[in-house]
Amino acid sequence: MTPKTSRRVAQAIITFLFIYLATPIVVTIIYSFSTTWVKSIVPSGLTLKWYGQLVTNPEFTTALVRSLGLGLLTTVIAMICFLPVVFYANVYSPSVKSHLRFITVLPFTIPGIILVTGLIQLYANLPIPKILILVLAISLLSLPMTYQALDNAFIGRDFRAMFEQALVLGDKPFTAFVKIIIPNIRAGILVAMLLTFTSAFGEYVLTNLLLGGNFETLKIYMFRLMQSNGQASSVLTTIYFLFLALISLILIIIMQRYSAPHKSPKEVPDH
Amino acid sequence: MRTRLKVFFPLSILVVLVLLLPILIMVIASFQSTDGSFSLANYQQVITNHYYLKAIRNSLGISVVASAVSLVIAVIGAWALTRLSQKTKNILITLFNMSASFAGVPLAFSLIILFGNAGVWKAMTAAMHLKDSLEIYSLTGTTLAFTFFEIPLGIMFLFPVFEELNPEWREISAVLGAKPLFFFKKVILPVILPNMIEVFTLLFANAMGTYETIYALTGNSIVTIPILIGTLIDGGLTANIPLACTFATLFALVMTLIVWVGNRVTRSKREAA
Repeated sequence: MTPKTSRRVAQAIITFLFIYLATPIVVTIIYSFSTTWVKSIVPSGLTLKWYGQLVTNPEFTTALVRSLGLGLLTTVIAMICFLPVVFYANVYSPSVKSHLRFITVLPFTIPGIILVTGLIQLYANLPIPKILILVLAISLLSLPMTYQALDNAFIGRDFRAMFEQALVLGDKPFTAFVKIIIPNIRAGILVAMLLTFTSAFGEYVLTNLLLGGNFETLKIYMFRLMQSNGQASSVLTTIYFLFLALISLILIIIMQRYSAPHKSPKEVPDH
Repeated sequence: MRTRLKVFFPLSILVVLVLLLPILIMVIASFQSTDGSFSLANYQQVITNHYYLKAIRNSLGISVVASAVSLVIAVIGAWALTRLSQKTKNILITLFNMSASFAGVPLAFSLIILFGNAGVWKAMTAAMHLKDSLEIYSLTGTTLAFTFFEIPLGIMFLFPVFEELNPEWREISAVLGAKPLFFFKKVILPVILPNMIEVFTLLFANAMGTYETIYALTGNSIVTIPILIGTLIDGGLTANIPLACTFATLFALVMTLIVWVGNRVTRSKREAA
């Protein structure tokens, strides 16, 4: 194959993959705008009625607020737990990183359904608010994503020199970290926060099984609607998809803007 | 040393509270009978009860097929991705990430809208008087559903590996007279095969642990290990948390082993090189 044909083939493959992966989503979006869609190739008519009904429903607002709250809390906890560790590991002690790698395979060896079994066995009868356990557990499960995004932020620059110069100039370690390190990795921090937030915002397994469906987040509401009202559920799924698309758009913009200084990881010696 | 302690403090607290302690208690509980005394009865049930064996078979079947198919497609997809421009690659990786995050309730619902009993596919085939034999609520349907997040996941794992392949190798081997197939078999495959094995173990483990998509798609009608654990935790009168702990302990043990082996394969290869 010449480079040109191989590029054509590659484009065709990616296009095909995209059509495959996007079809269910696209159909759901069309469904959410349609009056009815039974025994016809295209829907009988288009309407915004279902959107009006869902958005004005107080159950939707409550579920949305709960999911947003869960997402924010989790993001804060994940950052507090990981920002100092990833900084320390990258700048002072790269050997720690090999120990931290166990975290990256955690979702595969201990997925949500397994973790929740242990959590219920341990905390079911203890007088600790379940919601607190839930927030901590979701933070733990989103750590791999947080870890990798933050770790990428440290690639390619000499943060140790920067940090130590600040210390020599009389800053306390914490002040130096906030004043010197954070501004330099803000794009990486933002990416890590967005990814953590997204995974917590869409959490289902832990929330449903740990709190027994009493705490209705967006996903649990979506599941309940799915059983009873297809139109409303398609609207909610579309809104959820738009939320993911918005986050992805922000991620793409951040990457395009900040990828310049450490664009090609191949040139990094310790890769 | 004191800074080190301060740095690791929040993470350690989190790991102890919601990972180590619960897993430890879970393992202990798996050896307890309902009255709290030590017993191996739970483990005996897992390997003798037909219903439980069926759950294990279903889980293995769906996961092996879904991850094998997804791996093959992901290899092709990851290769295709490396041929595109840097800017397009970045955008596509984010989009694959997004479509992997769509897994679970939204994916199950979308597939029901598309292929379900009152779905668009049925409406279209009925309008065109075609016969349609796709049953989304079946084992096959579930396996199909899994490919929607396993393919993007596989591409994201494999893409960095394909990026590291040097395009000059191809020219060199062509100059030396190697045919494309020979080049693929002797140069490319030995480099990517260990990674493919590792990615397969990750996709397999991921499929084995999937609860949300399958629960939203089929309820409790297709029993897999996660669905079984869910029923044992949540099932009201039939709830049996010690038994759920037994399944969870076995699951964690086997998956840790598999992922560890997958990881070893790539690492030993890298060290040898």
